[in-house]
Amino acid sequence: MSASANPSAAIRVVNVRKHFGGIVVAEDINLEIAAGEILGLIGPNGAGKTTLFNLISGIHAPDGGEIFLRGQPLARLSVYRRARLGIARTWQNVRLFPTLSVLDNLLMGPRHYPGEELIAGLFQKGTRRAQAAQSLERAQAVLARLGLANAGAKTPGELPFGQQKLAALARTLMNDGEVLLLDEPMAGVEGQVYETIKQVVRDEAAAGRAVCVVEHNVSFIRDLCTRAVFMFNGRIEQTGTVEELLASDKLAELYFGGMK
Amino acid sequence: MEYVYTLLILIGLNMIMAASFNLIIGFGGLISVAHPIFFALSAYVSALANLHWGVPIPLAIAMGALFAVVMSVMLSLPSLRVSGDYLLIASIGFQLGFVEVIKNIEIAGGASGLSGIASLYSGEHRSLAFAFTVLVAAAGVVWLVHRLTHGEYGRAIQAMRDDEECFASLGRNAMAIKITIFGVGSGFAGLAGALYAHYFQFLSPDQFGIVQSSLILTMVVVGGMGTTAGPVVGSLLLTVLPQAITFLNLPPSVMAPLQGMLYTGLVLVFLFLRPAGLVGKTVRR
Repeated sequence: MSASANPSAAIRVVNVRKHFGGIVVAEDINLEIAAGEILGLIGPNGAGKTTLFNLISGIHAPDGGEIFLRGQPLARLSVYRRARLGIARTWQNVRLFPTLSVLDNLLMGPRHYPGEELIAGLFQKGTRRAQAAQSLERAQAVLARLGLANAGAKTPGELPFGQQKLAALARTLMNDGEVLLLDEPMAGVEGQVYETIKQVVRDEAAAGRAVCVVEHNVSFIRDLCTRAVFMFNGRIEQTGTVEELLASDKLAELYFGGMK
Repeated sequence: MEYVYTLLILIGLNMIMAASFNLIIGFGGLISVAHPIFFALSAYVSALANLHWGVPIPLAIAMGALFAVVMSVMLSLPSLRVSGDYLLIASIGFQLGFVEVIKNIEIAGGASGLSGIASLYSGEHRSLAFAFTVLVAAAGVVWLVHRLTHGEYGRAIQAMRDDEECFASLGRNAMAIKITIFGVGSGFAGLAGALYAHYFQFLSPDQFGIVQSSLILTMVVVGGMGTTAGPVVGSLLLTVLPQAITFLNLPPSVMAPLQGMLYTGLVLVFLFLRPAGLVGKTVRR
């Protein structure tokens, strides 16, 4: 893929590389995700999919290369600054705040959280109250949309796993960002929750967000993604439509050990 | 009566120390042992500002507390930037190092201590007025810590303690929150130190050793970490209990080890049998 600017790309990863000691976790990564697109990221465990998310969201600083969000370079920004610019992500292992209620978890999610500005809060009590009310209203709407209207007061530990997954997704949606990185949203999920997540992902892309999904569930990728990227050993091996990738001998060899 | 007033003053000062240490370690999850040193630094700054520059005592107390805040930022900024674990190591160095520094500053009286510090109040009701002042200050500190750790800011502190990386990925500035609560907590310790200096009118560097850290930690753990009422109960109990033992009229060679065993024993018993402390509720994770 060329590194040249594509005006429709919401996020652009250019020549990104990351090594941990002698281990290559990302090498020569070039990637663009357009607004409204759902890009599938596939590959075996250890291929570097989550690492790529960590590089984009700022958990790891790249050794080289650059990441652009609508043309703005991100690579030197800290995690929280990237999130405030609109990079929203979920985690493989949910990571809801265990001691906060589900609703409070969501309230921590907006890009701007006035509650963390201590001094400013002393002087703008009225504005602050209005912002808090607005945030609360949005959180309740997001919970209702994901079928969690009755779960707000519970702590994450009191919810079944599927609902925890939904709550974590809900918290990420509070960011309202341009880029949505979903790390195995379907792992351990079935039935109604599966359908809900699928619909949410579809709707979020339709709303103009650039969505990237790491997923082992092939039917999920096939249903939702127009384009997918196959990663192996920290490199992008192949990019194409999902059908092209699934038909690829290389993928079959690397992913399934030659059996198709 | 003088004895009762002094006891009330000690309870109040310990309450300020425990409540502010609880803000740092209990609510913030910032593992540090450098709490008595901020008490000490502020006590010395306040005492010396009054003694040598003639700064009025209330202003000197404020200067001392402010100095504690500034020093806390000097400790927390570099160590928190690397990783939270470094704070503990750096705080041990800070605590031990500055006690030695004080011992070697001539103007501060050196190892033999600083005497002749002016009292905040004079007259026959000095102790009563001071007890009242300290208890009001303690109530204020407990209230402020409660306000800070509940509501919107408190929710952020709690989320940060639960999972800092995830917290940052939502757009929250964990570093700013950590430095703030460390600074506020140390400032309160400074307030207690300056008040102490202008009541007892004598400071000795040996009073502010790492043993004091364990005493304050005991108050927090026994009362209940991460609760508002915990340090109140803890400081009350652990100020009165050692005083009660003194009524047993034991020789000093038995007394000192007995008090040490009491603190250590209490921490062990509570950590094993009731980790949430006297007032804490166990949170299901």
